[in-house]
Amino acid sequence: MALLTREATRQAAPASTERREVKVLSGFAHLSLAVWAILVIAPLAWTVMASFKNNTEIFLGNPFALPSSFNFDSYVRAWNDAHVGRYFLNSVFVVSISTAGTMLLGSMAAYVLARYKFFGNRFIYYLFVSGLAFPVFLALVPLFLVVNNLGLLNTYTGLILVYIAYSLPFTVFFLAAFFKTLPNSVAEAAMIDGASHTRLFFQVMMPMAKPGLVSLTIFNILGQWNQYLLPVALMQGENADQKWVLTQGIASISVQAGYEADWAALFAALTLSILPMIVMYGFFQRQIQQGLTAGAVK
Amino acid sequence: MRHGKYPFIVGFLAAPVALYVTFVIAPYLQAFYLAMTNWRGVSANPKFIGLDNFQRLLQDDVFWKAVRHHGLLLLALPLVTIAIALFFAFLLNVGGGSRGGVMTGVWGSKFYRFVFFFPQVLAIVIIGVIFQRVYAPDDSGLLNGFLKIFGIDPILFMANGRIALWAIVAVLVWQSVGFYVVLFSAGMASIPKDIYEAATLDGAGRGAMFFRVTMPLLWDTLQVAWVYLGIAAFDAFAIVQVLSVDQGGPDGATTVLGMEIYRNAFSYSQFGYASAMGVALFFLTITFAALTLRVSRRETIEL
Amino acid sequence: MSEDRRTFLQRAAAAGLLATPAAGLLSACVGGGDDDTQDQAEGEKSETNPLGVDAKAPLEVVIFNGGLGTKYATDVHIPSYKKSFPEAEVKFSQAEEIATVLQPRFTSEQPPDMVNNAGSKLMDQGALVQAGQVQDLTDLFNAPSLDIAGKTVKDTLVPGTVEQGTFNGKPYVLNYAFTTFGLWYSDKLFKDNSWTVPKTWTEFTALLDSMKAKGVTPYAYAGANASYYQYLVILTTAAKIGGADVLKNIDNLEDGAWQVDAVKQAAQLWGEIGNKYMLKSHLGLRHTEVQLQQNQYRVGLYPSGSWLENEQAKDTPAGFNYAVMPLPSATASDKLPQTAIYAAAGEMYFVAAKGKNPRGGMEYLRHMLSKEGAKGFTELTKVLTVVQGATEGLTISPGLTSSEAMLKAAGSDYFAYRWDTWYKKMDDECRAATNELMFSGGDANKFVARMQKVADEVKKDPSIEKFKR
Repeated sequence: MALLTREATRQAAPASTERREVKVLSGFAHLSLAVWAILVIAPLAWTVMASFKNNTEIFLGNPFALPSSFNFDSYVRAWNDAHVGRYFLNSVFVVSISTAGTMLLGSMAAYVLARYKFFGNRFIYYLFVSGLAFPVFLALVPLFLVVNNLGLLNTYTGLILVYIAYSLPFTVFFLAAFFKTLPNSVAEAAMIDGASHTRLFFQVMMPMAKPGLVSLTIFNILGQWNQYLLPVALMQGENADQKWVLTQGIASISVQAGYEADWAALFAALTLSILPMIVMYGFFQRQIQQGLTAGAVK
Repeated sequence: MRHGKYPFIVGFLAAPVALYVTFVIAPYLQAFYLAMTNWRGVSANPKFIGLDNFQRLLQDDVFWKAVRHHGLLLLALPLVTIAIALFFAFLLNVGGGSRGGVMTGVWGSKFYRFVFFFPQVLAIVIIGVIFQRVYAPDDSGLLNGFLKIFGIDPILFMANGRIALWAIVAVLVWQSVGFYVVLFSAGMASIPKDIYEAATLDGAGRGAMFFRVTMPLLWDTLQVAWVYLGIAAFDAFAIVQVLSVDQGGPDGATTVLGMEIYRNAFSYSQFGYASAMGVALFFLTITFAALTLRVSRRETIEL
Repeated sequence: MSEDRRTFLQRAAAAGLLATPAAGLLSACVGGGDDDTQDQAEGEKSETNPLGVDAKAPLEVVIFNGGLGTKYATDVHIPSYKKSFPEAEVKFSQAEEIATVLQPRFTSEQPPDMVNNAGSKLMDQGALVQAGQVQDLTDLFNAPSLDIAGKTVKDTLVPGTVEQGTFNGKPYVLNYAFTTFGLWYSDKLFKDNSWTVPKTWTEFTALLDSMKAKGVTPYAYAGANASYYQYLVILTTAAKIGGADVLKNIDNLEDGAWQVDAVKQAAQLWGEIGNKYMLKSHLGLRHTEVQLQQNQYRVGLYPSGSWLENEQAKDTPAGFNYAVMPLPSATASDKLPQTAIYAAAGEMYFVAAKGKNPRGGMEYLRHMLSKEGAKGFTELTKVLTVVQGATEGLTISPGLTSSEAMLKAAGSDYFAYRWDTWYKKMDDECRAATNELMFSGGDANKFVARMQKVADEVKKDPSIEKFKR
């Protein structure tokens, strides 16, 4: 069949016209793709270059010129004085726990809301999804009071719980939609086999929902990794700067750069925080892209 | 009703709901209450003033200016992003013509798909700092340095009130295209091969293929994209704050509601009024979401 | 953006839901309910302890981490306090965003004892005073100085310091750094071109013309984030034309204070400078960028405060030699002499009234105001303090020497305004109006009209507490 079709194709479109069309179109196609790729890469490449430049080169020089010298002083300053390394590890620590927590609690709630009928189901569901139609920073002061009253200020526990809470709305919304699409037959078969609700969830439904879970995990990692306002408001007090996450560190350098004008160190810090993300992304590219679209297209 | 259903439901919901109500709902409700007070952010006893803040809102020129900017973003951001992303997704998936009966992307598709997605993994603060230099108003800026090669005078991207908001839109497009390329690619991959084959058989060129085959079959995905981007248009706070001249300037030319809320809360210490703006934003967003979801509601969500 | 999308999706899903605020229930949480002040530490007053500090009470200070850094606190002032009260624990922390970090703590009435309220995200000091959060510093200023014998703290300060921190008759804030403002230039560039400091407006524009002829941008400020440097210049000229009362009337929100001839004339003159001698691209630049251009001899005159030299230390080429001049006289009939300058105590430090140790907080300020404390500060930050004579024995840089000379020449003819910190909304509007004036057309009437409008709005707004001086 395939062979036949191919044969038919060849006959239907005269070879010469098609080739010309292909040439013009793919020329244009490649050009536009290449231009966009440059648009994406150029600012990032420039950031790396800027980390080796001095202020005068950055702000007055030719943006496409190479740095006058390649030394890693700015990286040393970013690493030692601005503690980018420590903040990076803090971020890794906080985000891995809070994402895991978000996924566990979020999928439990989503599952129950998606697949069980009970009084108040809709109410709780909408309570969750109404979540962030409101700017976070207006809730900062009340949130601070809540966290403070619980004695969780300036603790990772507090920060992680808050991250989880603020990630739940989207997680629940997305996963509830996902759980609904899973076939009933498998669940019923398992129940007939005498599986408990809990076992059904962990051993049957969770594995089936894997694509959705993967995509949500990535969403949450990205979202929590980039969180800025919440840690600024909640990680404060004595020695709080030891516990800062990366975004706070970057912001601190950025504010400092405005006064002491050490822009090279700022761009070094940016490079240090961008590179691991891109390397990570390179490794997990396929999973990330599949995951991101799994839920959305399903 | 199966055995042990309720203990199970309660057990599964207790922790997430408790956490959520404590850290999210309670503070938000307080913010709603604060919208009806004259609270200045530092006193312990806000005074209840009813709907005064909302009345003031109606006469606030800056508020309406910000709302108009959201209107522009609401049109421009989805249109431009979707058009570009759709075009690239088509090239990357079907643009290479048929090879062995299978539609393929142009040469280098994998590389492009990898690169286009980059901005997606960067924090908005980082993007903002970088674009300050991309848009710098003299030859040291990336764009103006490039234009200089062609003898074009520097463009004041962020300093010219007439183009500043468009420059912000461009950053948002720059950042979003990659995600939608991936999203549309997935959608295109799920279009059955036979349809393309049949179309090729009928002698359809790539243009016709795109408009007659790809677009209609992607309609659902396009609608989803529209909703996401439309709601993105209600935000844009972070990028405006980091990138614009005078935080929302020049002269309010780039301001958005988030920026005004932030300014009123932290700069003017008018938390009550800022909260009222927040409530307005809440209802604007919800109205948009409700309208669009009604139009573009999908099977899976309705279930 | 991923975060944004997350938010969008959440919002998309929120369709149809309205939260029902249980306002009554929650209002109690916001306020904490009652007005009881917590127990505050207090010790016996004595000659060495005039403020009655509890020697064992812990003290918490929060310092803004910006242009001045925090080393002056950790290396000078805290050790000084610990020396007097070895048993007291001093908790130190720093912050870049003072408002985000501290506002919740004031609301919950658990403030740190001493705060350096500064930076672009500082708290509204007026609102804090209005809310009763700020300690009255009268006792501090009347206490004897720590190391200047026979004088009270007040006596040791540059005149005007206490007033600068006074809100409706009571001193609440210590403005610690003393800053002079003028037009900064490179002494080398001037010498190389045999340019001299202009005294009249004609000489001024002649100088700008010859700079232009040399290919130097004659005048610049950074529109993107520092237009307040420029409105300070415009208002300084207004004060020279019409006397310092012009500024006082603006501060006091007198009717038509912006519409007087002095302000209009000043705006007119500077609008013309903007039209003829400035580069449009500077509207999109930030302060460090324009300052760098000046360091490269591309910009002639730059308006700024005396912190400039320190801020640019890393990028200033050898031999640049910063110097500063007062603004030229605007007309022949100016009320103030050409040597008159804008100079003020700035950089706010205050003690929390509802903290655990307000006495200790004030004592900490007394240590800052000691001769040693002030000297240490100037040594580390290259910024003068309000303590008189504290620079004795220090070697001073060219720029600092120049600004000290300018201050000396001014004699008692220096002035300042307060409206920009009292009414932040006017500050924002003035930044925008100044950029419009200087970069797009120089319409003085429009500038004046915009400012009068916002001043009237502020005056009418009952939610904003008004201040007088």
